[in-house]
Amino acid sequence: MRLIVNQLAKAYGFLWALRPLDLELAPGEFIALLGPNGAGKTTLLKLLSGLTMPTAGTIELDGKTLAVNSTTLRGQIGLLAPADHLYDQLTVLENLRFFAALYGKAQPKNGLAAALEEVGLAERADAFVGTLSAGMKCRLSIAKWRLLEPALLLLDEPYGVLDGNGVDLLEEFLRQQCAKGHIVIMASHHVSRAVALCSRALILHQGRLSFNQAKQSPWPSFEIAFGDFLPSGGL
Amino acid sequence: MTLLRQTYLLLGKDLLLELRRRDSVLTMFFFGTLLLFVFHFAFDLPPDKIAELAPALLWLAFLFTGTLGLAQLFQAERDNHCLDALLLSPLDRGALFLAKTGLNFVLMFVVELVVIPLFWVLFNLSAWNLLPRLFLVTLLGTLGFCVLGTITAAITLRARARELLLPLVLFPLMIPVILATIRCMESIMRTGAMTEAMPWLRLLIGFDVIFLTIGILIFDWVIES
Amino acid sequence: MAQPTAAVKKRKGILGGAALLAITAGLCWSLVIAPPDGYQGEVQRIMYLHLPSILTAYLSYFLVFIGSGMYLWKREKKDDLLAHAAAELGVLFTALTIVEGSIWGKPTWGVWWTWDARLTLTAILLLIYAGYLMLRSLIDDEQRAASAAAILGIIGFLDIPLIHMSVYWWRTLHQPPSILRPDKKPWETVHPAMLTALAVSFVGFLLLYFYLLSLRYRVGEMRQEIKALRLERGA
Repeated sequence: MRLIVNQLAKAYGFLWALRPLDLELAPGEFIALLGPNGAGKTTLLKLLSGLTMPTAGTIELDGKTLAVNSTTLRGQIGLLAPADHLYDQLTVLENLRFFAALYGKAQPKNGLAAALEEVGLAERADAFVGTLSAGMKCRLSIAKWRLLEPALLLLDEPYGVLDGNGVDLLEEFLRQQCAKGHIVIMASHHVSRAVALCSRALILHQGRLSFNQAKQSPWPSFEIAFGDFLPSGGL
Repeated sequence: MTLLRQTYLLLGKDLLLELRRRDSVLTMFFFGTLLLFVFHFAFDLPPDKIAELAPALLWLAFLFTGTLGLAQLFQAERDNHCLDALLLSPLDRGALFLAKTGLNFVLMFVVELVVIPLFWVLFNLSAWNLLPRLFLVTLLGTLGFCVLGTITAAITLRARARELLLPLVLFPLMIPVILATIRCMESIMRTGAMTEAMPWLRLLIGFDVIFLTIGILIFDWVIES
Repeated sequence: MAQPTAAVKKRKGILGGAALLAITAGLCWSLVIAPPDGYQGEVQRIMYLHLPSILTAYLSYFLVFIGSGMYLWKREKKDDLLAHAAAELGVLFTALTIVEGSIWGKPTWGVWWTWDARLTLTAILLLIYAGYLMLRSLIDDEQRAASAAAILGIIGFLDIPLIHMSVYWWRTLHQPPSILRPDKKPWETVHPAMLTALAVSFVGFLLLYFYLLSLRYRVGEMRQEIKALRLERGA
């Protein structure tokens, strides 16, 4: 999956949430999307997921443009919102079954059970999602996306709701995704973890892409760029 | 996945949710019954006069009951941003339209199945043999209501005063359905057959087919994140 | 969007002037030159306003339909501006038609309102497009409001023939034909001077309509320009 973004921009009424932005990502890349609040990270993720249509510019996945009716393309894009996108009034298993079927990846019961096993939710299979904690909901999301295997996986602040085990689960899952040649883009305030995992860092500042570089070790240019808008500077 | 299979999947999920909580169907049923009681107090008429008014009264009740159902139509998708989850997926928007139309239709079907005989009992009407035909015509009208209602519910989803705006926008558009259904029902009550109301029946079916098709084609633009 | 050039302003001025001339001519013909009606007397003269009003309203709604369709297809703001402007004018001319119909009705039938086919239809039209304007004003997000309104603009217009049919059938099947109805086609009755008055009046209304449309459209454009300036300033 190659992702090419061309002069992508988004305005909400009076505000430019995202100014014209160009990006090219190769398969297997793990992008850390960083920046202060209101920088435009969520907007960019919403555009890449196809939830919002851009004011200008295009998004191309493997040469195909993302548009309102791009149903097949959307099947290859995933947005992992930590405790969202799950039906509270359905059970864990029913949620999994529903989304698997929706994405055309219907599984027999043991396939679903195995997926739950991997994230430690096997005993809660028949519990209503509304009764789960945010951390458990996040694990369910991980199980869901592991089944759906999107070629482009987007994450918006996943670390907020996860405990230690959950973090390990998530990072292992993300590493596996990249190993399979899929792209992962993660927006996070947890800069240290994001940088540790990533292969490239993007910094958004007031809707502009101010930094776009593949990871190096050490990475002085990143520290400078990042320090520019941190009050105290440094990681 | 084809349009119909996706519709089936979505509708199944919504009906399962409804079966568990029964929020919508119970409120709709009680509201419909309540309206019948209000009609009794408002229209103090002998049974033969009531028989003439029956189609109109029933349809008044169903219009308001159906509007309640529409207000709840996207309720399941409201929590946890589930509507985003659906829009994110490879779901054909036309399937979402059909599934939600189907959901409201099923709810109204169940309510009408009980309310129409109840009306007959409460108002001491005698022509029980006409009920099946009346019910069929009502279903055609209900389909028209659900089709336009789903489109209207979707476009008013993010509006302020949504519950007030929805009937305001929907009801004028519903006039052909209201006229056609009531005329057909009147014909059945008067003569037992549909012969004198055939043009109305054709209009009703035409309306249903036209807007069902338009709904499927246009829903891409109707529903947005 | 640039400021209108001097040429555009001049053309608008000419249009306005022509409208004024045509309306004046129309009034002359209607009030003075054409003879009074055999049955209804002087009151019938209101037809010279009434018919052009409703025809202009229909034209307006057609423009709403076109603008809505184009907006959904191309997503260009100008189509949305056209639809909005046309809807407002449509509501205005429809309301005008109803008032004129009412004024005509009182001396003719003795009542301010009757549920005859044409008045009823006109009232329904008013309700639909007043609903359109309400929908626009109640949705805060501009893009969403435009999309929602466009859908309603299309659905509403497509429903009109069905509403027409159902109301006409209802009224002709149930209403005895003895009521004097002001909807007989003019060329069935008519004195040539009356036809001329009608034609001149209609031309006047058309010119007036397009003049007002251009003004209202310009107001919409100016709102957009203000927004663009604010966006730039926010840079």
